[in-house]
Amino acid sequence: MNKRILKRIDFPLVLATLGILLMSLVVIGSATHINADDAKRFAFVERQGLFALIDICIVIFLLNFDYKSLAGYGQKLYIFNLLMLIAVMAFGHSALGAQRWIALGPVNIQPSEFSKIIMIVSIAAMLEDKIGELNTVADLLPIALYIGVPFILVLKQPDLGTSLVFLAIFFVMIFVAGIRIRILLGIFGAGLFMMPIMWHFLKDYQKMRLMVFLDPNVDPLGSGYHIIQSKIAIGSGMLTGKGLFEGTQSQLNFLPENHTDFIFAVVGEELGFIGATVLLLLYLIVLWRGIFIALEASDVFGRLLAIGVTSMFAFHILVNVGMTTGIMPVTGIPLPFMSYGVSSLTTNLLAIALLLNIRLREQKLSF
Amino acid sequence: MEVDEYAGRVKLLGFFASLVIIVLLSRVFYLQIIDGEKYASLAEGNRIRIIKEIAPRGTFYDRNGKPLVLNRPNFIVTIIPRVEPVKEEVLARLSKLLNVPLEEIHKKIEAQTSGFDPIYIKQDVSLDIVTIIEEQKHLYPGVIIEVQPTRDYILREMGAHMFGYVSEINDAELEKKKGDGYKSGDIIGKFGLERIYDQLIRGVDGGEQVEVDVSGKPVQILGLKEPIPGADLYLTIDKDLQLAAEQAVDEQLKTVHANAAAVVAMNPQTGEILAMVSRPAFDPNLFARGISTKDWKKINDNPYHPMDNKAITGEYPPGSTFKIVTGTAALAAGRVTPEEKIFDAGYHWIIPKTNASGEALGYINFKEAMAHSDNVYFYEMGNRLGIDELEKYARMFGLGKETGIDLPYESDGLVANQAYKKRVYEEDWYLAETFDAAIGQGFQLVTPLQAAMVMGEIAANGKRYRPHCISKIQTQDGTVLTEFKPEIMGELDVSPSVIRLVQEGLHEVTTYGTGASSFRGFPIPVAGKTGTAENPHGRDHGWFVGYGPFDNPNIVVAVVVEQGGFGSVSAVPIGKKILEAAFHIK
Repeated sequence: MNKRILKRIDFPLVLATLGILLMSLVVIGSATHINADDAKRFAFVERQGLFALIDICIVIFLLNFDYKSLAGYGQKLYIFNLLMLIAVMAFGHSALGAQRWIALGPVNIQPSEFSKIIMIVSIAAMLEDKIGELNTVADLLPIALYIGVPFILVLKQPDLGTSLVFLAIFFVMIFVAGIRIRILLGIFGAGLFMMPIMWHFLKDYQKMRLMVFLDPNVDPLGSGYHIIQSKIAIGSGMLTGKGLFEGTQSQLNFLPENHTDFIFAVVGEELGFIGATVLLLLYLIVLWRGIFIALEASDVFGRLLAIGVTSMFAFHILVNVGMTTGIMPVTGIPLPFMSYGVSSLTTNLLAIALLLNIRLREQKLSF
Repeated sequence: MEVDEYAGRVKLLGFFASLVIIVLLSRVFYLQIIDGEKYASLAEGNRIRIIKEIAPRGTFYDRNGKPLVLNRPNFIVTIIPRVEPVKEEVLARLSKLLNVPLEEIHKKIEAQTSGFDPIYIKQDVSLDIVTIIEEQKHLYPGVIIEVQPTRDYILREMGAHMFGYVSEINDAELEKKKGDGYKSGDIIGKFGLERIYDQLIRGVDGGEQVEVDVSGKPVQILGLKEPIPGADLYLTIDKDLQLAAEQAVDEQLKTVHANAAAVVAMNPQTGEILAMVSRPAFDPNLFARGISTKDWKKINDNPYHPMDNKAITGEYPPGSTFKIVTGTAALAAGRVTPEEKIFDAGYHWIIPKTNASGEALGYINFKEAMAHSDNVYFYEMGNRLGIDELEKYARMFGLGKETGIDLPYESDGLVANQAYKKRVYEEDWYLAETFDAAIGQGFQLVTPLQAAMVMGEIAANGKRYRPHCISKIQTQDGTVLTEFKPEIMGELDVSPSVIRLVQEGLHEVTTYGTGASSFRGFPIPVAGKTGTAENPHGRDHGWFVGYGPFDNPNIVVAVVVEQGGFGSVSAVPIGKKILEAAFHIK
């Protein structure tokens, strides 16, 4: 990598991301060490650390290519995405009532994670030429159809969380692409109207999750258990936390999924309000850099990519931390860079690669 | 960038992104800083379990150190639900093993409100069941055997009214005793000595503070408090005498076809209770592990009230045993001399009240009248004393108020008096009522203990000692908490010669009087008095009071047989057997 590139690297973004990754490894280590026997005590950390290193190498490698060339692959990526999602339905194996994983050699990958970033690229590629032309419902219809197919495939897995991520990203991107506000509000209105009908299509466990969200005590030993225990874990961390490896909720297994979806609860319990604040501020830096890069992007495609990626982060953070703190319903959405899981980590680092790439190739590059 | 008309929208999104972080930060602040204490204690509650270890109650010993009431281990099949409920198949298996209906197990689980406390499914299971559950743990996840010390009343119904019983504290008791360290679920003495001395004999429960994981598996012990066993009670009871008295009562009830009786045996020179019997009785073991509805109904439906300690709660007209009081009063007040002979024509000349069986004894003096329990003589004594003077002497004997024994629910009896009649019936006093009062009928009421006290005062030359069941209370490490010494409650204000006369009269009861047929040839000289109390509700109650040895008495007995008929037939044989046991006569 040449010096010129190094000079234009977005260091705040890199440092914030590395900071979160470091926290992640430490907290995953704490959350998993008690559940394994001695030989495997740090197996999770080692694995996550190894993939983080591999992913970082990939990120650096990708900086050599201009993101703009991705625009030409929009169609192909879209079709690849559909095939991947169909493959999950055909060959994937299930866990926790959903069919989301597909075995690929030594790793189980979760195509719906990768599909998020692929969708961002294909939507950006599609919207690039339509700036300022999203004025009627008819203008929107092909776009809606375009995103509708993968959306329904993910929803069918079923993965309500990821499909909601799709929706959020989509709306943010067409917003930035200049959709008329009146139409956007119209869609929201219709969505609100459709809600009772949508309720009908939810699986029983999804309905339960939403009901439990409204009142965790509906089912304190069942679905509500996660929320109650997670809130207890976070709250009991108080200002300074109980210390790494000392979280009673986490270490004694009261907290389920403590290294994946509920990892924020471990942060809250063991590192306290101070640790949780540090983490959230690191996220704020990432989001701000994402917004900044979107503003400064040298073309519409870059801006759409950057805003798509940033909204993906923001939505994940909101829903995941909101869930662990009890202000959002339980959906299986991981916390970016923090939750254990190769697919999610790789997807998020690829997203960072995109942001860095866009930043590298801002207009000033063309002097 | 060539097109930048929507940069404002991007900035707006930047604002929303910041808002997301601010909202989350506020939420975390609320949970950790504002509500942190609450969640910290919830987390502690999650991980820390207090496993209570119940302190064994103190042992009861008789006056010779023989055990009367002990503890035994109670194996309780218990469910620990922890986070996930115990599986249905396990419950079904358990239901079959314990022979407890599945619905009953479900009901107990549903009644559980506090989440982590153990649910007791069956108390007192056999060792076979304990072994099965311990050896096949994998078939019974979530099921444990809890061992608790439980009261073991080895004499079962014998002495039950004195010893009392224990059972779980109820809401009213809890409300009253919260300040004394009583907690919900505690076992508490409900009756008898168990109740009176509960504070000292209950001990202090201990427990283990254990850190558990989500499955309830102990991870480490954080603290341990050994239970402190309760202090032991050393009773004044003589176990052999108690058993003899119980047996004598049971045999006699069968013989005379009666259902209820009470006995008190006491050392008149100390106030120590040597034996106390009340019939019908109950088995206190039934309460120790929670009485079944069936057993409770059986006790409750018994018309003779098995739960009453008739020896101290039952109030009966004293009948002729009251002539001890009347006689003492007449001599002491100088209304009659020992030598004066009064003519018994079979009825009194003022009011034609007769003797019990219509007999007429002619001229008789004090001792003869006492020996034969002559009514006409004592009507005349009543006539000469007047009701007020009779009342004064009855109260001097301690009648009409509780004796102060260390047992609960003592009745105070009733001394016939004008004020009482005025208050209750709003009528003036009639002479006929004085006659009735003089022979222990009418308004007069005493408990068997009071009857024993009156006889005891004569036996102890006028001294009245506080009756008590306990000689000392001692902790297991040998510290004596309380020791009971004879305590004089009162003394008869009469001359020793009067008491001597009464004593001799009572002795003659057993040599040629109403008790002679039973006591003729008795190797140890004794004194006694029979009584037959009219009972408006049925057959007469039979009485006997007695003491011995005559010159230096160490035992006084009082026996009442409800609806037993003549005292000499129903009550005397019981009294005689008790005296025989006391003097080791066979």
